[in-house]
Amino acid sequence: MMALTPEFTPGQLVSGDVVSVSLMAPVARFSLRLRAADIPAVSTAIGVDLPTRIGACAHHETVEVMCLGPDEWQIQTDANDSVRLINACAAIYAQVPHSLTDISAREVTISIEGPGAVDLLSIGCPRDIDKIAIGTGCRTVFDGVSTVLWRDGETRFRLDIWRSFAPHVIGLIQTGCAELAAQ
Amino acid sequence: MLLIHCPYCAQTLPELEFTYAGEAHIARPDASSPVSDEEWRNFLFIRTNVKGPHYERWRHSHGCGRFFNAVRDTVSDRFLITYKAGEKRPELSDLLEKSK
Amino acid sequence: MNLFRIPGQGRVDPTTPVEFTFDGKTVSGYKGDTITSALLANGIHLMGRSFKYHRPRGAVCAGSEEPNALVGTRRGAGQFEPNTRATVQEIWSGLEVTSQNRYPSLSFDIGAVNDRAYMLFSAGFYYKTFMWPKSFWDKVYEPFIRSAAGLGVSPSENDPDKYASRYLHTDVLVIGAGPAGLAAALSASRAGLRVTLVDENPEAGGTLISEPQTIIDGVPAWQWIDQTVAELISLGVRVMTRTTAIGYYHQNMVGLCEKLTDHLSSPNANMPRERLWRVRARQVILAQGALEKPLVFDGNDRPGVMLAGSAQTYLNKYGVRVGNNAVVVTSHDSAWYAAFDLADAGTKIQAIVDTRAEPAVELVAGAKSRSIRILSGYSATGTQGRLRIKSVRINPVINGKVGAPETLECDCLLMSGGWTPSLHLFSHTKGALTWDADMQTFLPDRKTEDCEIAGAGRGLWGIAAALNDGAAMGAVAARTLDKVATNTVYDVTNDRVGTGVSHTELPTDLDPGKARAFVDFQNDVTAKDLRLAVREGMHSIEHVKRYTTNGMATDQGKMSNMNGLNIAADALGKPQPKVGLTTFRPPYTPTSFGAFVGYHRGDHFDVTRKTPIDSWAEENGAVFEPVSMWRRARYFPQNGEDMDGAVSRECKTTRSAVGMFDASTLGKIEIVGPDAVEFMNRMYTNPWTKLAPGRTRYGLLLGDDGFIRDDGVIGRLSTDRFHITTTTGRAARVLNMMEDYLQTEWTDLKVWLTSTTEHWATIALNGPNARKLLEPFVEGQDISDQAFPHMSIVECTVAGFPARLFRVSFTGELGFEVNVPACHGRALWQTLWDAGQQYGICAYGTETMHVLRAEKGYIIVGQDTDGTVTPYDAGISWAIGKTKPDFVGKRGLERPDLVADGRKQLVGLLTQDGKTLLEEGAQLVLDANQPIPMKMVGHVTSSYHSDAVGRPIAFALLENGHNRVGETVYIPMPEGVISADVTGTVFYDPDGARLKL
Repeated sequence: MMALTPEFTPGQLVSGDVVSVSLMAPVARFSLRLRAADIPAVSTAIGVDLPTRIGACAHHETVEVMCLGPDEWQIQTDANDSVRLINACAAIYAQVPHSLTDISAREVTISIEGPGAVDLLSIGCPRDIDKIAIGTGCRTVFDGVSTVLWRDGETRFRLDIWRSFAPHVIGLIQTGCAELAAQ
Repeated sequence: MLLIHCPYCAQTLPELEFTYAGEAHIARPDASSPVSDEEWRNFLFIRTNVKGPHYERWRHSHGCGRFFNAVRDTVSDRFLITYKAGEKRPELSDLLEKSK
Repeated sequence: MNLFRIPGQGRVDPTTPVEFTFDGKTVSGYKGDTITSALLANGIHLMGRSFKYHRPRGAVCAGSEEPNALVGTRRGAGQFEPNTRATVQEIWSGLEVTSQNRYPSLSFDIGAVNDRAYMLFSAGFYYKTFMWPKSFWDKVYEPFIRSAAGLGVSPSENDPDKYASRYLHTDVLVIGAGPAGLAAALSASRAGLRVTLVDENPEAGGTLISEPQTIIDGVPAWQWIDQTVAELISLGVRVMTRTTAIGYYHQNMVGLCEKLTDHLSSPNANMPRERLWRVRARQVILAQGALEKPLVFDGNDRPGVMLAGSAQTYLNKYGVRVGNNAVVVTSHDSAWYAAFDLADAGTKIQAIVDTRAEPAVELVAGAKSRSIRILSGYSATGTQGRLRIKSVRINPVINGKVGAPETLECDCLLMSGGWTPSLHLFSHTKGALTWDADMQTFLPDRKTEDCEIAGAGRGLWGIAAALNDGAAMGAVAARTLDKVATNTVYDVTNDRVGTGVSHTELPTDLDPGKARAFVDFQNDVTAKDLRLAVREGMHSIEHVKRYTTNGMATDQGKMSNMNGLNIAADALGKPQPKVGLTTFRPPYTPTSFGAFVGYHRGDHFDVTRKTPIDSWAEENGAVFEPVSMWRRARYFPQNGEDMDGAVSRECKTTRSAVGMFDASTLGKIEIVGPDAVEFMNRMYTNPWTKLAPGRTRYGLLLGDDGFIRDDGVIGRLSTDRFHITTTTGRAARVLNMMEDYLQTEWTDLKVWLTSTTEHWATIALNGPNARKLLEPFVEGQDISDQAFPHMSIVECTVAGFPARLFRVSFTGELGFEVNVPACHGRALWQTLWDAGQQYGICAYGTETMHVLRAEKGYIIVGQDTDGTVTPYDAGISWAIGKTKPDFVGKRGLERPDLVADGRKQLVGLLTQDGKTLLEEGAQLVLDANQPIPMKMVGHVTSSYHSDAVGRPIAFALLENGHNRVGETVYIPMPEGVISADVTGTVFYDPDGARLKL
């Protein structure tokens, strides 16, 4: 088990047969907020159809979007694509007012993979993980901390955690991994 | 720990994702025109404090972030309904009928 | 060894002997034994002393309801647990067990003198004895009660074990893995549901384990258990043993405590000792069976006296005979079968004493075939034996008259007063109970939760009834969840069904006032106590309970409540349902603190938020303090400085050269949209319309009650975009409040909010050298005073990082705050730190920040305000846009009380001796010579020693304070009265010249 560095150096934190946890490399991440009527126009501008069901996700090339609320989306893409995204939004702002706010440095993301992934999440997340369909996600809570959970596969997840809460959440995840490995 | 149906997420989810936000249907008087002391006092402080079905607000703070309304029985802790902010206040008699 | 063990019988593993110690002596048993079964196998019945009278006690039962056999267990260093129930604790080699509540030894105990003083310790003893004089409380009564109170010894070391917790979601949760629970789980899982089956015992089976003669669908009971569990597992059922359902909460949330390592001699170090499960089930099936009641007669608590069903369990589950020479005293058929099993195993049954005049024919036949003497229509009226029962005194009862006594020698007495459905969890849900007159017990009635009760829990008796009811309830649960389920009917042979009657105390020919006829064994409550309580005016069962402490021990009266109710009802002359039952509350059985704490200890105790610069502060010796959930550097001591020394140096350096401060914890909110400025106008007191992009303003946030909620500097980045800062502690609440107004009051506004607190690291540079230090690193902006005056904001590049640069000051010195993405925070800090060396830079912490701002009269919301302070009170009414039609708090400020005279207002205080530092929170009075209680007119909110001013300075909230400037107030302290002058709040550079460098 690797220690989490204060700088959040990406890399594997836990490896094992039951579950593996890695701190992922940073991505460009934005909060997008707008009114329902403007969803088509913004979708066209950024090149991704914004999903409207809360928890639903959409992908296009490097862009990934999750609908977090009726007027709120989280968009992430690689750093090179972020300027395109910012410019595309700026270009339509006058006609289609919205809020695009850079939050790239706000969160860090860990990946959780392995047959024990669901059990591991159940140490802190009160949601019924079985009910989160593959390819969807949600904003939820992990041990009292707001997080965004992405389900990428049956046993593959990502968890976005606000930077200052990450040592607490990741520390608990590591403890959970040791516990799962001992069983 | 309760289960709460979020009318925006259309899911019934653990209470830990939600925050209580006081009594519902208390509109802020438009203060740009004169409002009596009594009216303002009522808006700030006077609450029904019912024993039984209570119209109240919750926020899905660790979820979609929306404030919404609910009717919860303060005796049994059961929710009779949750509904979106801005929607009409449901009639209690209809709710009680439905909950049977 | 194991003189009372029957080789080949029971479910212990005879190939794995286990040795443990009991009060230092080695005792041997087998894997699968509990402490009690192993002790009984060695003929040891004496296991502890009772709570109040220190009477010798042995195990009364074989399960978690045990009131007597409570022991201390030690598993290793720091791993001591008092009051472990010996009847459920499994043994392993090396386990150390000690008896409790005795001194100097279990067989000779000085406290037993209490037993001889029995007549003095009546119900309500504490209330009656420790009444007066009042002065005795502290010195005499309380120490006495404290030393006498409590059972067992609290552990004195830190608990080294790990504890865990999980959430679990399941369609059907079945509680209890006896015949009803197994059948229910089978029905529900065959219907295709997610099923969880829990049982507090180490293995599934419940009663079936004690009834091995049962044949189910042609399969012997034990084999049926094995094949059923195997099928359940193959159907995906989560079968959890050693797992107690401790509480049943709203909407089918059930708390489970799973014991993972207490039965292991060398558990994996990463394994938690216990795991708390928070289970959410769509349907719950309570299949918890029934608990046997004792009979109430003089001496029913002597070691060797035990419940008949438990003796049967010790025999069939552990292969242990509880004695060689038994008398059975019963009012229920079930004890006859226990007698038959023991007789068949070689125990001499002296007699079956049945309180009923005419026992069932087949029972009589069974007894006769075993040559057991039958005494029907008899009462038990006493027992003899100091540390173990030696004989029982019995009398015939004819037409209510108690006849002449007879004494029967014995080494154990098996009693049964009938069975009580286990409805504790049902009671947690506030489910209603109904009195069943035939069975003389309460049964479940109206339900409040989505649950079913199966088997003996709802008064059904016998294996077949339990199995078929369990199967039916499993099917009901499945159908409720829209599944197709079939009602399995089981074919059972050798079932032992039976009935019984219920009693108060058994009739006696002796003085009942002298009888030690125990109802609550754990709290030493007798039938006499209950009757006395009623005589003394306790007419509600809740009062009787508290006056006598009946049912108030850690077993919550599992064995005693029904007997207690019967006796209280009899004494009151009312039927039982009119008297009512006390409420059971979670947890079902005593649960360790560790299980509730779970992961939240040590490093995981609570969230500690750290800034991107925290690691630098740590490496550089910062002393931290918690500020809301953050830890912040409080000061940076050098060369052994104390806090005062460090703060003094940091203040001086910042005022004379430059200081840097990690302000990353400030809350930040990005406000974007065409209505952003309108939103700002409505939200904050200040006017925003004329604030030009590139400028900042101090923003003041009120509640609609007119009181100060928050403040911070707010920058306008463009026409439609603001960068708000909030106080550290209120960031989340401010965002919540803004969302509330936006979502529910001002839905017309096109404006959106995003928390950017953690996106930005914020470094504050303050001091005359701040610009010199920063200037070389800034690209894209001239930061001279002309080009970038005080209260400016710009997006630029600082040291190569994208930045939002504020010209702002919370110290009164020339100041800048550089915001860069958090990932670059530490790098920028290091760059500025290195470059700052030539300008004599220091890092300063929150303590210096507080001093510097106080010197300048800047308030801290939450320290100098307390939720009852208006902008006028705080002396910052200049921040109110008086011409705005509305803003949050505008109408509130006009409330009569908020404009009345005599409000507490923020003022400065200077102690008249120029040296004394006031204590924050100290109270102010106008006349130090007035009699006590004095009229207090305010309190000190902030107080520091100020080097810049050359004396201590303070703020206070003082009644009518603004009009008292120049007057003297007094601060009475234990050491004497301090006098202080009331002043304005700005102590340093009142013209603000230093800001404009």
